[in-house]
Amino acid sequence: MHEQILRALERSRADYTEIRIEREWRTEVAYRKNNLENLESSSELGGIVRCLVGGGWGIAVFNSLDDLDKRVEDAYRIARAVSSKAPEKAALAPAQAVQDEVRVTLKKDPRSVSLRHKQELLQKYNELMLKYSDKIVSTNARYTDSFKEVTYANSEGTFIVEERPDVTLLLSATAREGEKNIQTGAESHGWLAGFEAVENQEEKALKATQRALDLLHAKPVTAGVYTVILDPDLAGVFIHEAFGHLCEADFLFKNPRLQEVLQIGRPFGVKELNVVDDGYLPGLRGNFKYDDEGTPRQKVYLIKNGVLNSFLHSRETAAKMGTAPTGNARAVNYQFEPIVRMRNTYIEAGSATFEQMLKGIDYGIYACGSFGGQTMIEQFTFRAMYAYEIVRGQVGELVRDVVLTGNVFETLKNIEMIGNDLVIKGTSGGCGKDGQFPLPVTTGGPHVRVRNVTIGGKAA
Amino acid sequence: MSTQIRATDLLEKVAKQTDGAELYELHSVELPVRFRSGALESVKVVETAGRALRVIKDGRLGFSTTTDLSDDTNLVQNALESACFGDPAPFRFPAKQPAPSVRCFDPRAEQLDEQKLIALGEEIVEKIKAYDSTLDVEAWAFKELEEVTLCNTSGLELVSQRTLVGIGASATRAREGDILIVYDQDSSRQADKIDAAAVAQRIIERLRLAERVVPVETKTMPVIFHRGGVQVLLIPFLMGLDGRNVFLGVSPLREKLNQKVFDERFSLIDDGTIDFAPRSTPYDDEGTPTARKSLIEHGVVKGFLYDLKSAGLAKAQPTGNGFKSGFMGGGFRRPPGIAFTSGVIPPGEKSLDQIIKDLDEALIVEGVMGLGGGNPLAGEFSNTVSLGFLVRKGEIVGRVKNTMIAGNVYDLLKDKLIALSDCPEWVLGFVHTPAIALDGVSVASK
Repeated sequence: MHEQILRALERSRADYTEIRIEREWRTEVAYRKNNLENLESSSELGGIVRCLVGGGWGIAVFNSLDDLDKRVEDAYRIARAVSSKAPEKAALAPAQAVQDEVRVTLKKDPRSVSLRHKQELLQKYNELMLKYSDKIVSTNARYTDSFKEVTYANSEGTFIVEERPDVTLLLSATAREGEKNIQTGAESHGWLAGFEAVENQEEKALKATQRALDLLHAKPVTAGVYTVILDPDLAGVFIHEAFGHLCEADFLFKNPRLQEVLQIGRPFGVKELNVVDDGYLPGLRGNFKYDDEGTPRQKVYLIKNGVLNSFLHSRETAAKMGTAPTGNARAVNYQFEPIVRMRNTYIEAGSATFEQMLKGIDYGIYACGSFGGQTMIEQFTFRAMYAYEIVRGQVGELVRDVVLTGNVFETLKNIEMIGNDLVIKGTSGGCGKDGQFPLPVTTGGPHVRVRNVTIGGKAA
Repeated sequence: MSTQIRATDLLEKVAKQTDGAELYELHSVELPVRFRSGALESVKVVETAGRALRVIKDGRLGFSTTTDLSDDTNLVQNALESACFGDPAPFRFPAKQPAPSVRCFDPRAEQLDEQKLIALGEEIVEKIKAYDSTLDVEAWAFKELEEVTLCNTSGLELVSQRTLVGIGASATRAREGDILIVYDQDSSRQADKIDAAAVAQRIIERLRLAERVVPVETKTMPVIFHRGGVQVLLIPFLMGLDGRNVFLGVSPLREKLNQKVFDERFSLIDDGTIDFAPRSTPYDDEGTPTARKSLIEHGVVKGFLYDLKSAGLAKAQPTGNGFKSGFMGGGFRRPPGIAFTSGVIPPGEKSLDQIIKDLDEALIVEGVMGLGGGNPLAGEFSNTVSLGFLVRKGEIVGRVKNTMIAGNVYDLLKDKLIALSDCPEWVLGFVHTPAIALDGVSVASK
């Protein structure tokens, strides 16, 4: 295949050509209650060619590698059509040509673990949840593994073969009491690791189940504006959703008005606030050496001492904005071109202890765990798995249905305290953008205290 | 050059080793064009070829997929391995049954090339820019041509060709202290049904209504769910009418068959037979004919949706709702699951204007964030309003920001229905719905 790729690149008439081929082996085991919904071992092979001609992009995606030359020609032809129409000419920031082969060594390569063994392990977790209480009416347990070998080459001499493993585990239990009180507890995890990561996780199954049962007796939150302490899980999702996406340069690099609003050097939060997108944290989901343009990973401070410090870039956004690429051009799979995406995004640890944070809150909310979030530039929303009241500086009763919303520009300035207990983790889901879902990322932070947060729910 | 193996030949080979088998093969070509900041950015051609094999062996179900159409070994082995300890199969693969006539293929859609798609995108961009040249406009247009072969060991052999055309745009208005995104789209299996001017017009109308930002109080008030906002109400039904959730005992509607649990003005139909609707098809992805089915009729629960597996488990009839891709996509890679085709909510008698005129204070919700989160199984929603307008004394006075809505869909549609508008519209290509006005929705704002 090596030769075939080099030849196709050589023959290309485009100004710039890249070819990415992915071979994937994956398995999935999924239970709903006591039904095995899916038990699957599959393989997939596909590729993408991207050509830049006169500043226009042409892209061809395919499963059959039989005629790579023709795929390059297809991409070239449509790129020419784009170039004749596009007033804005795309260009790429310079990059060093890289030749590398990145192989991983896993303790237990999922490809050599039998499907039966995977099914038995998940069945065990599932039964733990189902048998815990007769109030557990359903479960959702899912194990996935994926092992990809990604070959990336471009017409500037880069040729990289990189292995990218990924395993995830979702354990979710649904409890019911009476007709309408239905509550769910979930534990969702993902790792760049082998099968060993999902072994011995009985505790997570029990934790999810107990939470579902506890929530049956939690009171629904009353809508209003609160001082909120976010736990590390939720602080991570908050910074990813509310702020991280704003730093992805592809949404503003052609938009001068947004660039005015988001100027580097603009104070963005309290002085103690530091936000990082870290290219490499070993063992965490999605931590690969190169992005999907062959740019090596990097550590980027998005906010430094409360000031907007940098965006995340692809080669194209970096060229347009006169800076260097940051290794954040990522594609969820071979069916997509790389776009600017986060990797490990977190708030750096501060100095406050949890006890210090509680102090002085007369009535507030301690929001924990995340059911995901969404952002539309300035407005964001995310959902806590569970929460507690804070009453006169003490953690009080369990509350449910906590959905937080706000305006990112205001909320970052309303951060009052940053904890000293940073946690970064990956989930079984992933990040979605422009139809590319689920991309493995991690998020994290310490406990963070924020004032004036709007929480939805029943009006008082 | 590798040699492809025909689907039917592979099935024949598998048949000898199993009690039953089904092969699903997809060949598709998509052609998306994309505009960013008002200018053409890229054109892409996506050719997909993949296969999924389901087998029943010793009464157990196995599944595997591949993109290697020359492979006649690994796919079969993988499927057989998973069948060794898969779940018992509560069904047999169906023989061919008569299906409704549904038009899914349009030669004009097939013939759309990149130039014509670029022209569609240009039309949207130009119209929106003509309204306000400072807007940042993203637009896209695509066509898709699908050929699906479905064959099984009960003698079923279906080959279907379908087309799909879609366009969409979003306009971002960035002002200091206020950033607004307005989005709209249109899709159909028929090229001539796509209306770029209408998409642009709907976006412009919303931008105009959103010129002024107005405060809203935290309290309970009427909410009119319009266009994208209707999804908030639909999601609990997608889950509650899902035959698998009924069988598992987690749907609150499970024991309500033939009972009146909603306002009698409210009905919901699943219809896979509407000509050229984006999710229409004569057969589902398991070979069961699709149909027009009343799920809620004048407030009475009339039926649930089943694929082969859930129907087998629940001892019900499959309803033609076994699809390999739900609204989140999936394609040939996924085993079939239950999905709606087109959701149809019959209209009421009042115009939307009249409904608005009759309300003293209300919120119109056209888009939310965080859809489907929370506790939709229990009917509960709690969402941030991404696009919403405040009505005061019968008139729209402006856009609301930092506002959330919450309530229980099942309760609200039981005794809080104010009105359904008289003019249904296609929303997001899969729902044909009027605006729905409900009283007693919790609204929270800063």
